[in-house]
Amino acid sequence: MDILSGLLHGFAVALEPANLFWCFVGVVLGTVVGVMPGLGPPATIAMLLPLTFLMNPAGAMIMLAGIYYGAKYGGSTTSILLNVPGESASVVTCLDGYAMARKGRAGAALGIAAIASFIAGTVGVVGLMLVAPPLAKVALAFSAPEYFSLMALGLAMVVLLAGRSMLKALLAMLVGLWISGIGTDPFSTTSRFTFGRLELLSGIDFVVVAIGVFALGEVLACMEGRAEGGALPVPKGLRNLLPTLQDLKDCRFAFLNGSVLGFLIGVLPGAGSTIASFISYGVEKAVSRRPHEFGKGAVEGVAAPEGANNSETGGALVPLLTLGIPGSGTTAVLLAALVLWGFRPGPLFISENPSLFWGLVASMYIGNVMLLVLNLPLVPLFAQVLRTPDYVLYPLIIGISIVGVYSASGSLFDVSLVVAFGVLGYLMRRLDYPAAPLILGLVLGGGMERALRQSLMMSQGDLAILVTRPICAAMLALAVLILLVPLFNKLNAWRLQALE
Amino acid sequence: MKMRIVFAGAAALAALGGLHSPAQGQGFKPTRTVEAVVHTGPGGGSDVLARAVALVLEKEKLLPVRMQVVNKPGGGGAVAAAYLAEKKGDPNTIGFFTGVWLTGPLTSAEAKVTLRDLTPIARLVLEPAVIAVKADAPYKSLPDFIAAAKKSPGQLRQSGGSVTSRDNIVRQLLQKSTGAQWAYISFPGGGERIAALLGGHVNMMVIEPAEAGEHIRAGSMRVLAQVTDKRLPGFPNVPTLKEAGFDIPAVPQVRGVVAPPGIPKENVAYWEDVFHKLTQTASWKKFLADNQFEDGYQNAAELTKFYDEFTGRMRGILQEAGVKLVR
Amino acid sequence: MRVRNADLWSGLALAVLAAYIVVQASGWDYTGPDGPGAGFFPLWYGIAMLVLSAALVASSLLRQPEAVDWRGAGRAAAVSAALAVAVALFKLVGFAIGFAALAFFIVSVMYRRPWPLAAAVAVGLAGGFYLVFPLLLGVNLP
Repeated sequence: MDILSGLLHGFAVALEPANLFWCFVGVVLGTVVGVMPGLGPPATIAMLLPLTFLMNPAGAMIMLAGIYYGAKYGGSTTSILLNVPGESASVVTCLDGYAMARKGRAGAALGIAAIASFIAGTVGVVGLMLVAPPLAKVALAFSAPEYFSLMALGLAMVVLLAGRSMLKALLAMLVGLWISGIGTDPFSTTSRFTFGRLELLSGIDFVVVAIGVFALGEVLACMEGRAEGGALPVPKGLRNLLPTLQDLKDCRFAFLNGSVLGFLIGVLPGAGSTIASFISYGVEKAVSRRPHEFGKGAVEGVAAPEGANNSETGGALVPLLTLGIPGSGTTAVLLAALVLWGFRPGPLFISENPSLFWGLVASMYIGNVMLLVLNLPLVPLFAQVLRTPDYVLYPLIIGISIVGVYSASGSLFDVSLVVAFGVLGYLMRRLDYPAAPLILGLVLGGGMERALRQSLMMSQGDLAILVTRPICAAMLALAVLILLVPLFNKLNAWRLQALE
Repeated sequence: MKMRIVFAGAAALAALGGLHSPAQGQGFKPTRTVEAVVHTGPGGGSDVLARAVALVLEKEKLLPVRMQVVNKPGGGGAVAAAYLAEKKGDPNTIGFFTGVWLTGPLTSAEAKVTLRDLTPIARLVLEPAVIAVKADAPYKSLPDFIAAAKKSPGQLRQSGGSVTSRDNIVRQLLQKSTGAQWAYISFPGGGERIAALLGGHVNMMVIEPAEAGEHIRAGSMRVLAQVTDKRLPGFPNVPTLKEAGFDIPAVPQVRGVVAPPGIPKENVAYWEDVFHKLTQTASWKKFLADNQFEDGYQNAAELTKFYDEFTGRMRGILQEAGVKLVR
Repeated sequence: MRVRNADLWSGLALAVLAAYIVVQASGWDYTGPDGPGAGFFPLWYGIAMLVLSAALVASSLLRQPEAVDWRGAGRAAAVSAALAVAVALFKLVGFAIGFAALAFFIVSVMYRRPWPLAAAVAVGLAGGFYLVFPLLLGVNLP
């Protein structure tokens, strides 16, 4: 079935009233789930599975997919307003988004996030529609060495996130690597750094660290100041309630960058939206004309990662629907749902179930539009949240953090961990250690170590495997180049000084 | 053995109890939603099985209340097992165990709860596996692969789960009995293992027939042999390990039901009865057929015996494979 | 807390952590039966951490970094302690009461608002959480 006729057929399916309804339910639910830290799409979809047996599969799939990409829209809300990442992929949005909120531009940040998410989400669906099968084949060429170099590339980005002290940034990253290694080593079943505690056997959940370091760390830091009362600056005037034309212009490249990179990284099974948002943030900062603004409230710093984590959903559906291989936690649950309904996702899935596939694709276009329409007008409303006086706001943040963490794991141990990480976050803030490299190390560390060991297993211990494979070598070379950037800058500065 | 005596005694007690006070403890019935603990996150193997069981129970009206799946992932089953152990005496909780619950305590110091510490209820399914290669690989049969492995020791590669998983156990057994040697690469996710095979990064993998089904149908994978005792209905032309000439046991992946420790005997009898009835329903048989599982039903007593025997065997195999054992 | 040189202390703390990592890592296999073992990666990043933290300590001794204003730290420490107490309370009396106590503490002590206001905020927030989460959304509270 060729693309145009498939798409028309798909719209016919998606525009059926029942399916439209499910699409709406899905995206609204997804947004709510995304806003709440700790509760994520995988758990929600799992909870709704019994319900889906009462629906027809197309409608059910449309709804579940709506939850998936809807959550990415919602995740940015708490990240920007409260510095609490609603979803693991929204961590990067906290960096510039919250900074913008503190400058009174919360509305603009929320608006840009919604717009970027829409553009990228749509690009993701287009990608899914046009290039899914051939891209899936290319994705198969990616294996452990390529994943390793991808993550190395991601870690090299720490250089761009460094701020004032490169030493401290690197140290933060190393601590992140260490935390990612806590738990049972999957290859040898040795337990590492678990201090004999059962709860640490599977490592420390990323959400716990992120919420602790960002949200609670921030709250503790704010506790220091004298109690003047008053909240974060409420956006005044239309200029700050919505993004301006200038903002949109600035973000032109960010929209592109987020959409494309997010989609491509999403296609790789095992690379998640967090990596996608970090890399697109890093790339954006690298090509920006004002890199020093990043971290202090650069609009592109919100647009790029938000776009990336949305188009990543489209990308992650590629291996699921073309090969039956789940690319992330949520797609794994979607796979389970398909299996339970009696389907068998695999290479023949699309050709044998055209109405399901094309209906899904069409519904994703519709869903993205729905989300934009839902989110944009709500932006000024959300911005008013900042009006609450801080003695109410901060306990509220603490409460949300604790409930969020507990809802994810049901363990009080995790709650005590999040408090501990909050203290760490506070200390890091005071001692001028940047938090982003820590998160970066944590996210990439586990995958990187695994990929390296798998690569060495493949080559029987020969490190050359990393440079003899073309894609891998190319990415490593890129990583090295990025690492040399600060050196370039220093040399440039000396040169300019010498010229004066 | 002990369980049998305990059971006889329990049955007698229950009967007596029924005679003496019909109002109390006559037959146990769950009064609130039953919690089914699984050790994977949503979408994982145990999770899907538990949900399927819940569906069948509801459809066949075998349970007066709902069954809800509770995910307690972590530590390769250790967290879920510990959680069940903590629920001592709770009649409304059960858990779904798999092979890792049996091997975990052998290799991991923190995994203190063994199946013996909990109350075994029933073994439900045995998951067979097949040995698959990419469709354009030069191996037409398992002896082909072994011969190639012997010619270049350590050069060929297999993808699979952790080193204590069934995939590696099969590899260890094959290597030991044939003298061939090939590398093993762990991928935590099933999807990544398949991707590694299809992308040509590894040469062979041990995979469940349900997972491989679609790829075989599409012609991108070929099956060399099946890790079963009898040929599966879905693979009538593929030899079993023994038929292919390899005299090693067909190691199954087991799944079954356990309950927290310290629950009353009538509780155990109730659960045993429910699951026994479950395995006899048509919906369950259809579920097994669709997913190409083998009906491995064993009641609680048989399960306990199986556990002891299986653990002993695993200990030996893992030790030979060079894995450090802690128990 | 008057600390002359924050970088020095944090560098030393990290160096201690790094040493611990290296010691643990050398106790594990460097190469396992099929490839790098459990100790491989931690060993290398432990060494890196050791080197870098040493560099940090050195640089802090050579330069004069700005003093860190620790006056506010006491307040933050107090809130951290309150948080820890609250978590302990959760296990005993549940979320609603523990959180209310925490909120009360923060509002009255930290912000020195009149205590009726603090009580109102505490109860309001705790009640809000209780309503929204378990009742509306079916999410369990600690």
